[in-house]
Formats: sequence, C-alpha cells, structure tokens
Amino acid sequence: MKSELELRGVQQRFHARGVADGYVTAVDDVSFSLLASPPQIVSLVGQSGSGKSTIARNVLGLQKPTAGSVLYGGKDIFKLSRSEYDAYRRDVQPVFQDPYAIFNPFYRVDRVLWKAVKKFKLADTRAKGLQLIEESLQAVRLEPENVLGRYPHQLSGGQRQRIMLARVHMLRPSFIIADEPVSMLDAQVRRHFLDILLDFQREHGMTTLFITHDLSTVYYLGGEVMVITKGQIVERGPVATVMHEPTHPYTKLLLDSIPSPDPDQRWTTRIQVDELERLDDNTPVDATKPEAPII
Amino acid sequence: MRLLTAVLRTIRNSRRLATGLIVLAVLILVALFSPLIVKAIGGGQDPIELAAYDKWQVPSPQHLLGTDQFGRDVLAMVVKALSVSLQIGAIAGVISTVAGVIVAFVAGYKGGWIDNVLSTFTGILLVIPTFPLLIALSAYAKNVSLFQVGVMISIFSWPFAAKTIRSQVLSLRTRPYVDLARVSKARDIEIIVTELLPNLLPFIGVGFASSALGAIFGLVGLEIIGLGPGGVIDLGQIIFNAIGTGALTLGAWPMFVVPIALLTLLFAALNMVNIGLEEVYNPRLRGVAGE
Repeated sequence: MKSELELRGVQQRFHARGVADGYVTAVDDVSFSLLASPPQIVSLVGQSGSGKSTIARNVLGLQKPTAGSVLYGGKDIFKLSRSEYDAYRRDVQPVFQDPYAIFNPFYRVDRVLWKAVKKFKLADTRAKGLQLIEESLQAVRLEPENVLGRYPHQLSGGQRQRIMLARVHMLRPSFIIADEPVSMLDAQVRRHFLDILLDFQREHGMTTLFITHDLSTVYYLGGEVMVITKGQIVERGPVATVMHEPTHPYTKLLLDSIPSPDPDQRWTTRIQVDELERLDDNTPVDATKPEAPII
Repeated sequence: MRLLTAVLRTIRNSRRLATGLIVLAVLILVALFSPLIVKAIGGGQDPIELAAYDKWQVPSPQHLLGTDQFGRDVLAMVVKALSVSLQIGAIAGVISTVAGVIVAFVAGYKGGWIDNVLSTFTGILLVIPTFPLLIALSAYAKNVSLFQVGVMISIFSWPFAAKTIRSQVLSLRTRPYVDLARVSKARDIEIIVTELLPNLLPFIGVGFASSALGAIFGLVGLEIIGLGPGGVIDLGQIIFNAIGTGALTLGAWPMFVVPIALLTLLFAALNMVNIGLEEVYNPRLRGVAGE
C-alpha cells in the first residue's frame, strides 16, 4: 500500500454570470501531495469561499478540474483503468461536512455501511458483514444496537458523523478527505471526533486531509498545515511554525480571529474590514471574494 | 414493508389526502366492477343496447336515472362511461409520467448540453396550445381507438411532469448523499433509481394525478364537441348527447347533471390527493402546531 495522492497545478473555474470575464476561479494553481506512509495529518485552512471544499471535490474525483491534474499513484484519477479506479475509490474516502444531509432520509442508517460492505466486497456472507459493521461501530465508540435499524433523523449529529467514521474504519482507506467534518458538531463531540481521527492515523496508518476554517482544531490535530485564500495556497508548513511565525498577512489575520476562552484575554481590538480590502489589493483578483469579512 | 407503513402513516396524518384517496378508490372500484354493475342493472339484457327500453323515461325505481334518446339506461351508461374516462386517465397518466420522469432524470442528472436540448424541447411542447391541436388531430384521425387518443393526449401532457421533476432532480443531485453514493462506486443509473427516485415519489404522484386529470378533461372536451374516439361512451359523450338532444327540457336532467357531478368529484378527489401530498412533503404548508 505505497501510494501517493498528488495535486499538480489544479485549477477550477466555474461559469458565473455578472462577473467580468464570465467565470470565477475557485481553485487557482494548487499543488501539494499527500503520502500514505508515514501517515500524516495535513490541514487545509481557509475561510468560506476560499476554494477548500472544491479541492476536496477535486481530490475525491467528484469534480474534474478545469486545468491541472489529480494524481493517484502517479496517474490522473480521471484516466484510470478499471482496476486502478477500484483501488483509488477504496483508498480515498471522504467524511463530509453536513451530518444531516449525508444520509438519504428514505433509508435506515445501516444502508450506508452495508453499501460499503457490498460495493467494496468486504465480506462474503451477511454474518461476516454484520460482524464487520459492529466492530467498526465499536471502534468509533457507538453501540451497534443504538444505531442500527434507526433512521437518520433519530440520531444526533455526532452519532451520524461517527457512523461516517465507522464507514471509513471499515474501508481502511489510505487517505481520508475530511471536509469540515466538525464544523456542525458541538465542542465536546468535536474533540471526540478529532481523537478518533488521530487514532485512525496511529492504529491504521490513515493519512488525513483535514479541511477546516477553524485554526483551533488544526492546532489540536498537529501535523502539517496549508493556508488557502482565494483559491491559492499562501502558506504551508508544520502547524507549530505556521502558528507561531506566520509570514502571510492572511494567516496572521486568521490567527487573530481565534477566540480564547480565557476571560482575561478578551478580544480588545477589532479586525477592520479595510485590512481585508488591502489583502485584495496585493493578490491577483481572479479568486472569489470572501463571503463575509471575519469580524 | 417499510414503504407500506410509511405510506399508511402519511395518509393518516393528512385528512385531505385520506378523503381524496377514499373518493378516488370508490370511483375506481365502481369503474373496475362496471361490467358487473351494468349486468345487474340490465337484469339479463344489455341496458346499453339501442332501444333496450322506452326512450326518455324519467327517473323511476326501474331506471334510477331514467333512459336516453335511444332508450338506454342512463345509470348503466354513466357507470360504463366512468370506467372509460378513468381508463383514458390511466393510459395517458402512465405514458406521460413515464416519459416525463425519464426526460426529467436524464436532463436533471446529466446536465450540460443534454439538459439544454431536452429542456428546450419540453419548453417548446409546453407552449403549444394543446386543445386546438387535439381537435385538429382527432378531426383527421377517424375511428381512433381509446388507446390512440390516450397517446395523443399524453404527447402534450408529459412536459408538465418533466419540468417539475427535473427541477427537483437538479436540487437533489447535489445532496451529499449522492456524492457519498458516487464515492461508493454507485453507477449513475443506480444513484437515480435508489437515491433520487424514492425521494421524488410524491412529485411523481402529483405529476401522474395532474396528467391523468388533464387527459380525462381533454377527452371530455373532445367528446362534448363531438370529436371523440368511435365506439366508446365516456362521460363527455353523455354530456354531448344531453346537450344535443335538449335532454334538460325533456326532464332527463340526470343525463346532464350526473356526468358533471362525477367529473367534479373526480377532479376534487385528485386535487385533494395532490394538495395532501404536497402538504405532507412540504412541511412549510403544514399547520403551525404540526401533528
């Protein structure tokens, strides 16, 4: 299982009306690579509209980039042979942002897990499949009898998101693409979720691309971090370095935006909107505008 | 099984839906058993045969709704005509729903130029005035069968279904569970059938009901002006006869009133089903207090 996931000069444009040249560039010339061994956690940080979710969709093969390529084991993921494609699908799996929308409301939650068992031929009998599902649910600290046979609306957000982790646990991919997986969970469930991700890295050697807008979770996870703004990666390096010695003004701005739970360290200064405006001036303006300045 | 309980729960929660379905079920049962009912009315002979009885009898215990200008029993005719009207509804409803669903799913799911072509085509069909064209077509086609009329009507009624379902497909196909199915190696057809279709059943039901209704009224409209298919009596033709012979002035009011009442009932029932389904699946239309 020596594989590598690489983005080479990926650019994603979308048609848009009312923009000067008829399109917006969500992702602009992004290159990075993820290694399966040693397992690592790479965080991709950026605000809403910075293009981070589009990168996730590119990596997962849900969206074909307009330029550049996503390579799995050195081959373009949109030009894989049948068996290579199967390997890629098995090896690169997502955890999505919205734990409510990820389940088809029509079916019981078990179906997501059984689908994984059947599509990836994880077990040849029903009994073995059930055993596998129960093991995986226990690995994400869910009681199988509490979740199996339920409908999505009967479970909490945290439970639903952990079922997605159980799915990942069953498939044992080399790469987890986690697109804002904790942004809709409350604080202690969030911590719990991150711990499971860290366990997966340690015990099963899974590399995670962790996409978030929240620097405090990045800090908790450690590893490498990339900062993306307006579709471009502006800073990358080990978390400690980037957090303590940010070089790009956008990173500094992000760091200033973390609220601290310490009552003695309330926010006293305000981030001015014109700081964001000034950022606009010294970067090329192909990228999407931030949806809202962080204040 | 799960589908059945879900359907039952849905029906129990909406009084409108339940009423509509019950009325509809009664009408369908009458239509299904129409041969038996007609036989029972005739008591050995065919009550719809020409000159079976004296003509222009007023309602009496022997002929609950009287007889028409040819001496046919009006009740038997109405029962028979109801089954014909429902048949045309079923034929046109099924054809246009199937066509609409296929076009909607292909256009909505595939997107791009396929969507453009199909949407333009549906748009063109939508703006063609249907009824004048139907009149022209039936005037040309002599001795058309019921099925052919059904096909003719559905040619113009599928675009409505296609349009509404397509917009739903557009919104559903970007749902994360579709993405999840894709990364789980599900093929397009599998995603359409297992992920999207179940969630669109109410819309498909509404599409079916409205095209069936459109077809029934289309045929009634053709019959009233004397352009229906030959050899069958539907509710419109009874009304046509009533108008043509001045039945109202001869005291044979049931010939005029009963078909219209039945059509109104059918219309009300199907619309109640439509509204009820929409209410159930669009929570914003539900009462504030909920269930």
